[in-house]
Amino acid sequence: MTISDDTLTLYFYTDGLSRRERQEVAAALQTDRALGARYAALSAELQQLTDAPAVDAPADLVQRLHDCVDRLAELPAAAPDAARFNVSSFFWGAALAATLAIGIFIGITVTRETPDLVVPRMAEVPAPMPPTTSPFVRGLRVHLQNSERGLSGLPPGDAERALLLMNIIEQNRLFERAAVQNDADNLARVLRAFELVLARLAAGDLDAEETDALRNKLLFELNVVLTKLSAPPSTDSQTI
Amino acid sequence: MKSSGPPTRADFHEAISTRSGNWYAACLKITRNEALAEDALQDALLNAWHKRKQFKGDARLDTWIHRIAVNSALQVLRRNRNGVFEPLESDIADATRTPESAQHAYDMHAELTAALSGLSELERVCFVLKHFEEWRLKEIAGELGTGVDTIKQALVRGVRKMRLTVRSLKSA
Repeated sequence: MTISDDTLTLYFYTDGLSRRERQEVAAALQTDRALGARYAALSAELQQLTDAPAVDAPADLVQRLHDCVDRLAELPAAAPDAARFNVSSFFWGAALAATLAIGIFIGITVTRETPDLVVPRMAEVPAPMPPTTSPFVRGLRVHLQNSERGLSGLPPGDAERALLLMNIIEQNRLFERAAVQNDADNLARVLRAFELVLARLAAGDLDAEETDALRNKLLFELNVVLTKLSAPPSTDSQTI
Repeated sequence: MKSSGPPTRADFHEAISTRSGNWYAACLKITRNEALAEDALQDALLNAWHKRKQFKGDARLDTWIHRIAVNSALQVLRRNRNGVFEPLESDIADATRTPESAQHAYDMHAELTAALSGLSELERVCFVLKHFEEWRLKEIAGELGTGVDTIKQALVRGVRKMRLTVRSLKSA
């Protein structure tokens, strides 16, 4: 019986041959010295590859990995909560965001079509609300624009994407707190709703289709708020 | 490593300090590209952190992350190819490779790197998963979405090529 080197290779890797085939090769190795020598050479060459010196990870990569763990660990409690919230709470969050966005949209439309109307319902923000020229509103606009840009060009790598989203979440949280301090409760609620969706995107457990759907939804909502912020300030009421 | 509860930040730091070289090496063998290997490893770490509550305390954290890193490297390869591994017929070796570049690779890097670089992607992935990662052939076939016989063919062909490369490099 002739046994090829390919068969010896499969013999070397224990599950490469059936039990019967293994027994045949083992028997041949017992009796055929030349075959034994061929197998010894093959084993030695493969073993030599196993013993190849290990590669060191680049120092900057190792540092990035440490930094990544630190960033993940330091994410405030809300992000892990959001990452593990269940489907129903996600839909509630998404529904809230959608409702607010639609409300804002209606508010914009109604305001534009009926300039005399005092205030759009969902977008109404009780006074005092920062004037549109305030640093707060300007900063918020920049934050939303940056978020929009970031979301539009989400990097393909999970790690990069998550870090970008975490940065957006951190910024978003600052503006949410500022909104609360300015008694802009509706705006704070909208930003909180954004955070839920951002955290869901950062969790990285969605498939590509779900990610795109969620991202597009968020982009729409961001755009709505940006449009509202860019609209001329009403003399009758202050809205976001 | 404590036996109960999910791994902590300190556990992750310790694993990175002691084992990131092995994770990187595994990713590099699969992707044969430093940038892709780095991407794969970062993805793997992020994934491991998010899934840390699924980690079983009786296993070793670094081994668990190693497995995630290998899967991540395979995903990176897939992503770069816009899908699954192609069938053998279209799975060709690196055509840009010349004896000079092979010699250069041998001089600049380990013998293993030079030998791996002469393999097609499928051969390389099969060889690495079998030889270094010690996956079962069925596992490899399942992961690559192909049959065990295809994996066997790729493996023996890869070994054949590697042996030839190593011998020619040694005699050069």
